[in-house]
Amino acid sequence: MTSVTIAPGSADISAAPRITGSGKGRAWAYVARKAGLLLLTLWAAITLNFILPRLMPGSPADAALAKLAQNGPVSDATKAAIEAQLGVPTGNILEQYVAYLHQVVTLDFGVSYTFYPQSVSELVSTALPYTLVLVGVVTIIAFVLGTLLGVLAAWKRGTWLDTLPTLAGSFASAFPYFWTALLLLFFAGYVGRLFPTSGAYGPTASPQFTLGFLGDAIYHAALPALTILITSLGSWILGMRNTMISTIGDDYVTFAEANGLKPRTVALRYAARNAILPNLTSFGLALGGVVGGSILVERVFGYPGIGYLLFNAVTNQDYPLMQALFLMITVSVLIANFLVDILYGVLDPRTRR
Amino acid sequence: MTALLEITDLSVDYGEGAGSTHAVNHVSFTLQHGEFVGLVGESGSGKSTLGFAVTGLSKPPAHVVGGSILLDGVDIASLSSADLREQRHGGIAMVLQSGMNALNPVRSIRNHFVDIFRAHGHIDRADWNSRAEELVAKVELPSSVLDRYPGELSGGMRQRVSIALALSLEPKLMVFDEPTTALDVLVQHAVMDTIIELQKKENFTALLISHDLGIVLESAQRVLVMHEGEIVEDAPSRQILESPRDDYTKMLLSHYADPRADVVELPGFEKRVASVSSRTRQKDQKAIVVDHVSKVYPAPRRGEPQVTAVDDVSFTLEPGQSLALVGASGSGKSTLAKLITAVEKPSAGSVRFGDLDVGSLRRGQFRQLHRDVQMVFQDPYAALNPLHTVEYTLTRPVVNFTGLKGLDARRRVLELLDTVGLSPVEEFAAKLPHQLSGGQRQRVVIARALASNPQVIIADEPVSMLDVSLRAGVLALLEDLREQWGVSLLYITHDLLSARVVTDNIMVLNGGRVVERGNTAEVLRNPSDEYTIRLLDAIPNPGRRDVA
Repeated sequence: MTSVTIAPGSADISAAPRITGSGKGRAWAYVARKAGLLLLTLWAAITLNFILPRLMPGSPADAALAKLAQNGPVSDATKAAIEAQLGVPTGNILEQYVAYLHQVVTLDFGVSYTFYPQSVSELVSTALPYTLVLVGVVTIIAFVLGTLLGVLAAWKRGTWLDTLPTLAGSFASAFPYFWTALLLLFFAGYVGRLFPTSGAYGPTASPQFTLGFLGDAIYHAALPALTILITSLGSWILGMRNTMISTIGDDYVTFAEANGLKPRTVALRYAARNAILPNLTSFGLALGGVVGGSILVERVFGYPGIGYLLFNAVTNQDYPLMQALFLMITVSVLIANFLVDILYGVLDPRTRR
Repeated sequence: MTALLEITDLSVDYGEGAGSTHAVNHVSFTLQHGEFVGLVGESGSGKSTLGFAVTGLSKPPAHVVGGSILLDGVDIASLSSADLREQRHGGIAMVLQSGMNALNPVRSIRNHFVDIFRAHGHIDRADWNSRAEELVAKVELPSSVLDRYPGELSGGMRQRVSIALALSLEPKLMVFDEPTTALDVLVQHAVMDTIIELQKKENFTALLISHDLGIVLESAQRVLVMHEGEIVEDAPSRQILESPRDDYTKMLLSHYADPRADVVELPGFEKRVASVSSRTRQKDQKAIVVDHVSKVYPAPRRGEPQVTAVDDVSFTLEPGQSLALVGASGSGKSTLAKLITAVEKPSAGSVRFGDLDVGSLRRGQFRQLHRDVQMVFQDPYAALNPLHTVEYTLTRPVVNFTGLKGLDARRRVLELLDTVGLSPVEEFAAKLPHQLSGGQRQRVVIARALASNPQVIIADEPVSMLDVSLRAGVLALLEDLREQWGVSLLYITHDLLSARVVTDNIMVLNGGRVVERGNTAEVLRNPSDEYTIRLLDAIPNPGRRDVA
């Protein structure tokens, strides 16, 4: 059927939106556009991180000197030593900027005050895997599980498959984070002695890639993971259930039913497939918040991740550590958003244009 | 030969218990093999509810409470949902009202076909592609649409695709629920032609549900007229046209007329002899002068040509005059309205209202323009805030534009309601939009436009969303305003019949250009432009069958 005569239908065919470029070409153009946007925002974030501290009056060295000066006069030699140790900017602003960019690219964020003489990048690289694995994996599990439960609840609306997860979910997510954490700590930790109450691994273990250590790490991660899961699962269930209920009412779902598609196909490929799109945005935000958003949980469970590190950095006014952590949080939000944008492009043909 | 579909004593309720309403009330009818039957009724008559019940798609709160639906002797109402699903192949297929939204936006057209083939297994996997190509060819689409997503197709193409999908079930009965309502006139005409041809070629039985008696009489052999949940007339099309028995059918028919006729009469609407002297003219009335105006939009995507929505259009709307702006969607008529109301700025040329240059208004001058030039929108359901009473909706512009306060403002609101014929006024003032019918809502929208004592009303398809029986009333109101208050009217429409009755002059737009202009009656009776002729031919006309 190559030559179809389109006499009567031509009126509406000519009114069709124009479609340019091949599908593949457009897909790559979309990825390239999003990647360009990512680089631009990354640069802006890094630059802001450079400018903001310079707008503040004083410097870490001044603060340290002021502290010392309370105990008596500070000699010039002491002053020079402190300034050398903490680093006082030299050269004009442009040179400083270039030096800073170089440091960022080589991940050289200087030396921590609190954990002197360890370098900031060393501290971060030790803490990061714990947070990424704990919070990252749990966030993904919560999203997948919550979305599936939400689909089921909407599809079986009004049955116990709907009311039970919906009620339980909203009940659990109404609890504050730390309260759930304390409850778990008390009952499963102290009273039940089922799980360890703090730390990322046992006192005798040392971080290495062995089955024994991994098992120990998972065992220690159980309570904080459960806390995050319990408190975040509800909102995924509710979010998915509500958007899916509205897509179930859409015409394409009714039409799919009228065409006798299998209920599974209608539920998953028609209703759920469209309902998940708005939830991806919240998923992106949640992923971006993985690095920065785990302070409370890590603090309560004494879990040596990024949140715990950030908490220490802030309480001890550890500027280099703080600056590196804030930059990392920003960057992780940007990257998570980039990934979700790409995911959107894959899942929704309308965004590719 | 036994009937294909036999419906006996069917009732469908909305809700249960005391609060339930009977949407379909003890309805019985039959469809014979190969028949093309129309089901006509106005909004709320229960025709769509009946259509959904027949196809076994009733969803809560609607539910069948009595009667039987026999398809080839099998009662659909008593089938389990699994059995019902099985029989969709070779049974009943349905094309939905808003076919535009009947396709899954994230699935390609090809996958829509594949889903159906897979669900019923009636086509060998090896033949899926060729079968899908065959089906889209039947609805006169090129096979390249198979690799498109719904968002990449026009409304008419999407509706054709959903017809092809329904066809892929090899149904005995096809139910079309308002298949062309959301489409542009010319497209509507083309899609209906395809449906009629397909029905002859593929030999399925067709039930066409529509609010438009014109469309139904043009295509169906037999017509069922539905009113308040009951079928009030069941007769061959010719008989409905020539000797309708039921009063309701007669009323529906009376609202159709040929805009080309010498004298056009609609019930409830009398065209007075327009004489300028009889009008109580307001002081210093101003004319709208559109002078060689063009509007060019930048290209939607890089590498594409820019879009010229309005191309060198000139006209003058004198005080008290009425001008129809006619054209299919995309002809530039709405853009022209936006240019006149200063929503958009012209790319070239000028729009003047009195001594105001509408294209280059400064901040404070918008208010002046909007006091004198008001819009009435197409969709009265969307144009009113559902949370506000009619009185609140009307008080806002009264206070803003006239400076009246308190009791004076209230008096003015009641006066406006009286002007648009909503009485008792006190009662209507207290109502919320959902308590009003479509026609009443449109009157509130008009009253709101009148609140500022405007000199010009721009009405964008003000009756296209209303039932035919309500249209005449709204049109008569617009005409009255012109007669009594000297308000000039720019009437934007694709409906040539209503243009004929409310306007003196007409301009036909195509592709942003004026292709024909002149006295409305003369242009419609002796159209010279091919496009105007096509528009006239596309009007559903109950009488056309006789001509053919």
